[in-house]
Amino acid sequence: MFSYIIQRLLYGSLVILGVLIVVFFIFHALPGDPVAMMAGQRSDVSTREAIAKDLGLDKSLGDQFLLYLNDVLPISIHQNTLENESKYEYQKLVTLGESVLVIKVPYLRRSFQNHKLVSSILYEHMSGTFWLALTAMIFATVLGITFGVIAALKQNSFTDHFLVTTSILGISAPSFVVAILMAVLFGFYWADYTGLNLTGQLWVTHPMEGRQLEIKNIILPAFTLGIRPLSIIVQLTRSSMLDVLSQDYIRTAKAKGLSTRTIIFKHALKNALNPVITAVSGWLASLMAGAFFVELIFNWKGLGLISIKAVENLDFPVVMGCTLFIALVFIVINILVDILYAVVDPRVKLNH
Amino acid sequence: MIETLKGFLGCLLLLVAFSCSQEEKSKHKILRYNQGDESLTSLDPAFSRSKANIRAATQLFNGLVELDNDLKVIPSIAESWNISDDGKTYSFNLKHGVKFHQNEVFANDTGREVTAEDFVYSFKRIIDSTIASPGAWIFNDKVLRNSNGKISDTCFKAKDRYVLNIYLERPFPAFLEILAMPYGFVVPEEAIKKYGKDFRVHPIGTGPFVFKHWDEGSTLIFHRNNDYWKLDEKGQQLPYLDAVQVSFINDKTLAFLTFSQGKLDFLVGIEDNSPELFLEQDGNLKEEFKNRFKYNKSPYLYTEYLGFQLDSSFSKNKEHPFHNKKVRQALNYGINREELIAYLRYNLGIIGENGIVPLALPYFAQHRTKGYNYDPQKSLRLLKEAGFEHAGDLPEIKLYTSSPYKYIAEFLQKQWSDLGVKVSLEVNQASTHREMIDKGIAPFFRASWLGDYPDAENYLSLFYSKNFTPAGPNKCHYKNAAFDALYETAIKETDYEKRNEMYSRLDQMIMDDSPVIVLFYDEIIRLTQPYVKGLQVNAMNTISLEKVDIGK
Repeated sequence: MFSYIIQRLLYGSLVILGVLIVVFFIFHALPGDPVAMMAGQRSDVSTREAIAKDLGLDKSLGDQFLLYLNDVLPISIHQNTLENESKYEYQKLVTLGESVLVIKVPYLRRSFQNHKLVSSILYEHMSGTFWLALTAMIFATVLGITFGVIAALKQNSFTDHFLVTTSILGISAPSFVVAILMAVLFGFYWADYTGLNLTGQLWVTHPMEGRQLEIKNIILPAFTLGIRPLSIIVQLTRSSMLDVLSQDYIRTAKAKGLSTRTIIFKHALKNALNPVITAVSGWLASLMAGAFFVELIFNWKGLGLISIKAVENLDFPVVMGCTLFIALVFIVINILVDILYAVVDPRVKLNH
Repeated sequence: MIETLKGFLGCLLLLVAFSCSQEEKSKHKILRYNQGDESLTSLDPAFSRSKANIRAATQLFNGLVELDNDLKVIPSIAESWNISDDGKTYSFNLKHGVKFHQNEVFANDTGREVTAEDFVYSFKRIIDSTIASPGAWIFNDKVLRNSNGKISDTCFKAKDRYVLNIYLERPFPAFLEILAMPYGFVVPEEAIKKYGKDFRVHPIGTGPFVFKHWDEGSTLIFHRNNDYWKLDEKGQQLPYLDAVQVSFINDKTLAFLTFSQGKLDFLVGIEDNSPELFLEQDGNLKEEFKNRFKYNKSPYLYTEYLGFQLDSSFSKNKEHPFHNKKVRQALNYGINREELIAYLRYNLGIIGENGIVPLALPYFAQHRTKGYNYDPQKSLRLLKEAGFEHAGDLPEIKLYTSSPYKYIAEFLQKQWSDLGVKVSLEVNQASTHREMIDKGIAPFFRASWLGDYPDAENYLSLFYSKNFTPAGPNKCHYKNAAFDALYETAIKETDYEKRNEMYSRLDQMIMDDSPVIVLFYDEIIRLTQPYVKGLQVNAMNTISLEKVDIGK
């Protein structure tokens, strides 16, 4: 299993390199001039030159790419200066004349727009996205499997029809509509009863009291984000449960005189969960990439909104940083899911 | 399974109840506003290129001078100043005892006194190419240069601890207005040395508020500067507020809803917001809000216009109809600006029937430039004179715009098609739109100009032939020797009346030549909770919170 993971990681780093090359060249083919975005409405020649130099845009495209690659690679070559040492925070490996071969944490540069380190932008926004995605998925999975099982057990009853119809509604409602409805209903019209805010973060800083955890702020966005996966999980669990329940070994189990509870949870559900895991993992990975509408409506600090804004403002380092990070998330989650399959289904073996 | 679910829900409910009970009204005076229309990128005044950055920096820093509500230059850290007779030497006497905010970067953790050397350092930092400040243009072509053409090392000079001299290459009477811009704010060298680029999140200035906390994209908090050097008329220490809290709600509707819930004290930048939420069609506040909020409207130093690309080297067709003045004038006469303001903009804005310089500048409100009104007959006659017997003979015109202004473009399209002129639209993202203008790809485009400083020169520089895009602001590539000559004379004239008289003539020249179609001059609208006092407004829409108070 260990060698399997190593192999997958190596394969994943090739994927990341591919993403880097594609995004780099697509970005530079985009119309728009980052220097103009940085300079504001009034400018002059020397101001623009200074900005272009500061952003590293005064070099040829090939040089820009090599320099960026060198900055991102964990093993790279830099001029051996004190300035570089504090910029990249590297560990020297071999000194080669004036240059030095180093090992370092990938350096994602600073944002064009606000000069903030991209790594700290990612770090700040990642935690918001992570908690939101996790809460939404836990909510969707727990409720989804429960409702799915109930619907399957009471097939063709009112409850079943009700759950199936509602879940179709949940799948087809566009996320921006749901988000606005949730925000306006629970955060505005009924705010006196729910006590919820229209917008807000998990951690809120008050002017005098300082930083405080406000869990209530995650309820609306997480619920909104979870509605669609919830509906899909209900449907998946239901159909997969029905499929399993009609199989021979369930009849055998019943004939053996096992209790209904054991049959459902130990025999049926465990086997019915495989397609659900695929769905959940896929959703989790894409939710980790940020959810633009939910972030916009609830003003939630996450990756979706900043990546869209960065593209609008031609903020290359942020666009690149976000894309690389999201690619990494997909790779890691895919590896984790493969491992999870092996745990749930003994027939799956982790080999090449 | 069901049990765990119940437990989970129970925990959640408990947490909700717990966090609700914590809400307690604090006794501090806290002003809360939203910064929604654009994102705040830096608190460093050297990067204050957007309204958001200017707004925040204004609370933390001071410069030599500032602007009052009528856009007149008044003293700030400089107590008084002299301008030499040739208009090239400015000498400022600084106030004694103005201190930077208390901070660990200063010895003994106390605020250090501001001296003339600090201004020399701050100004040199603006023109330092390694800093790459977008504000370098304010000094670049104005301050003294050596014989080799490089900016002189001694153009900013501290004569003694409290006297600062600035030497200019040639007279530039609007220089004081320029110094009032946030690029001219004073910053301490110690802090820049320590934080470098991260001074953007560790700002230390002399302003009424001290930086406390910035959770980017979420909250920004300033606390009262207890040692602020300004007193009010009664001799009471400023500012009155204990803290300022800025939120960053992107969505306009949500920002308004949050405001109407009483969770914000005023709405700023609503000129870009959705006026349909709170305005009647005629521009008055909706009945339901009349007793709840204060509402005011005032002129804004902002012109919305359409530009023609006049540079023939950009067009394949050397005989482009836009190179014919009569065609440009015809299009100018062909639109009803009153309808645009009344039907599309809830009566926000002043119709653009005067020059490119907005009426918010007092001289131009008194001496109005003659622009273009709605006159379809004249429009058709001009087209005929230009050789287009029927308006439909004119080749199809393409108007380029960025997406937020599509509604204006569509209205204009309709107006011109009523005359018989064929018009199509191309809508692009802001960054693409800008590049298309800069590179001359867009022959007819929507643009706007927000005054950087209150002098007509700022607007007229849009037509000076040495300011061609992409480096300069002359988007139309307008070139007129007579204009250039008068412009060069006007910007050196130190007498206010004489200078503005020349500006006024320049403005008229532009309108006669019609390289642009002026649409309207915008207005600032503000919604405030009734208990907010002393919030003033000037035509630059800068917001100074030092004299704002909250009284329930």
